[in-house]
Amino acid sequence: MNNKIHHLVQTMFPSDGSGLKPYEWMINPTRQLQWIDKQGIFLWLAFFFSEIGAGLYFVSLFYEFKAGLVLGWLITLVLGGLIHVLYLGNPLRAWRMIMKPNTSELSRGIWIIGVFAALGFFQIITGNSFNIIFNTIMGILCLLIISHGFATMNVIRALPAWSSTMVLPLSVISGVWIGHQLLQFMFAVSKPAEMAAGMEVWAEVFFFAYVLCIVLYIWGTYHSNEIGKESIIMQGTGELQRISLIGVAGLGVALPLILTLIMWGGDTNAFWIFLRLASVIAGDLAVRYVIMKSAVYKPLLTRQ
Amino acid sequence: MPRWGMVIDVKRCIACWGCTIACKEEHFLPPGVFFNRVLIGETGKFPSSSKLIYPILCNHCSDAACVEACPTGATYVREDGIVAIDDTKCVGCRACLISCPYQQRTYYDQKVKDKEYFPGQGKTAMELIGEKLYPFKVGTVIKCNFCSERIEDGLKKGLKPGKDEDATPACVNICPVNARTFGDLDDPNSEINRLIMENKGKQLRKEFGTEPAVYYID
Repeated sequence: MNNKIHHLVQTMFPSDGSGLKPYEWMINPTRQLQWIDKQGIFLWLAFFFSEIGAGLYFVSLFYEFKAGLVLGWLITLVLGGLIHVLYLGNPLRAWRMIMKPNTSELSRGIWIIGVFAALGFFQIITGNSFNIIFNTIMGILCLLIISHGFATMNVIRALPAWSSTMVLPLSVISGVWIGHQLLQFMFAVSKPAEMAAGMEVWAEVFFFAYVLCIVLYIWGTYHSNEIGKESIIMQGTGELQRISLIGVAGLGVALPLILTLIMWGGDTNAFWIFLRLASVIAGDLAVRYVIMKSAVYKPLLTRQ
Repeated sequence: MPRWGMVIDVKRCIACWGCTIACKEEHFLPPGVFFNRVLIGETGKFPSSSKLIYPILCNHCSDAACVEACPTGATYVREDGIVAIDDTKCVGCRACLISCPYQQRTYYDQKVKDKEYFPGQGKTAMELIGEKLYPFKVGTVIKCNFCSERIEDGLKKGLKPGKDEDATPACVNICPVNARTFGDLDDPNSEINRLIMENKGKQLRKEFGTEPAVYYID
């Protein structure tokens, strides 16, 4: 085949399956492409950073640790916010996203982030700002931001892998778990050893809750309907198999389990905590990637 | 105010893809972008299998998932039931695209805009004219609009959509077997209401509760 014809065939029928095949559209379970492939990868990162930033802020409230608040606030707004904007096709019009909080989850999220930004800034700059009412308000805002990314996905009824009941609990627990790990590491390197050791009991609780949520998500989605089952099978096979095994099972569950057992009862040190933090960050990125990548639509026609 | 809808008789459709091509011509759609598709599926097992031919387009749902998902109000349901996109408001978040259970929306980015029908040979005069006559905004979502410009122009001239070609969507006009009927769903005496009633017209994927304005009869 000469180069010109080869180029023509490649353009009309690219290997990503987006070529001129109008008759094959939605007759098989069809994967969503927009929120993970190509530019969509920004959204995966934006949801992640918003979640861990808010998670860190949330846990820091309980320990009244201002450096944690500052870092959490910055991660949520600077990393999460900027990456969100990178994803948008027309970022200069992004302010319009505040227009429909009554129906759009995205719009609600922008409002919540706006309020979090303002109140969080106020809490950070004021001297004695850890009072119970303010902490409660900020805690609720943090939980809403943690769940915002998955909540936006959860309302999409056409994608069972995202509309699964366990998506929101998984998101909340993972945000708090990683936020807790970030704070424990900050304590390990900046405070007396017993501070980080004292946090270990909560690390055990959050870790097992996180694993339970993953298991329930897989079980629930698999048994929800045929398309949900298809998504779960996709997560364990093909191109996602390696990410599921190494990322989710290895770094998200197995390695943190080993490290948690090593540090069981508060026998902590900064290196083990750092290793577990790195592992759970990679693991949670993998969990999110796999969930976003495996979402498929129910076909419009059946082809048996 | 009418509520525009469509009935597609799948028994009549011969899968000629006339609607697909007429739509691309009408809206000067770039390569790889379709507002109309003809899906080919099958059911059963040999020797008792049957072929399914379903022309698909935006369903212009009255309770549209895309409208709910849109954070800016760029996607909205017009008074005449057509789901439209205001490209001056669209931020390109693609929440509408993700939430559409029928997957009938397309994100129009620079890569799509730059595609040529004859790759490597530059855009044809027709493609260049199309970009002027029917400009899509880069970084926004596009989709079927029931040829609303034809309907509006036709109504101004006193024509009746569904009856007069100049006021009727291009896919309906082109269909050689009259598989498509366009008309007012709110008019109890309209042809499409008669067809829906007599043939027990069905909406596609009714379980999503979006109340599509496109009905199928078989």
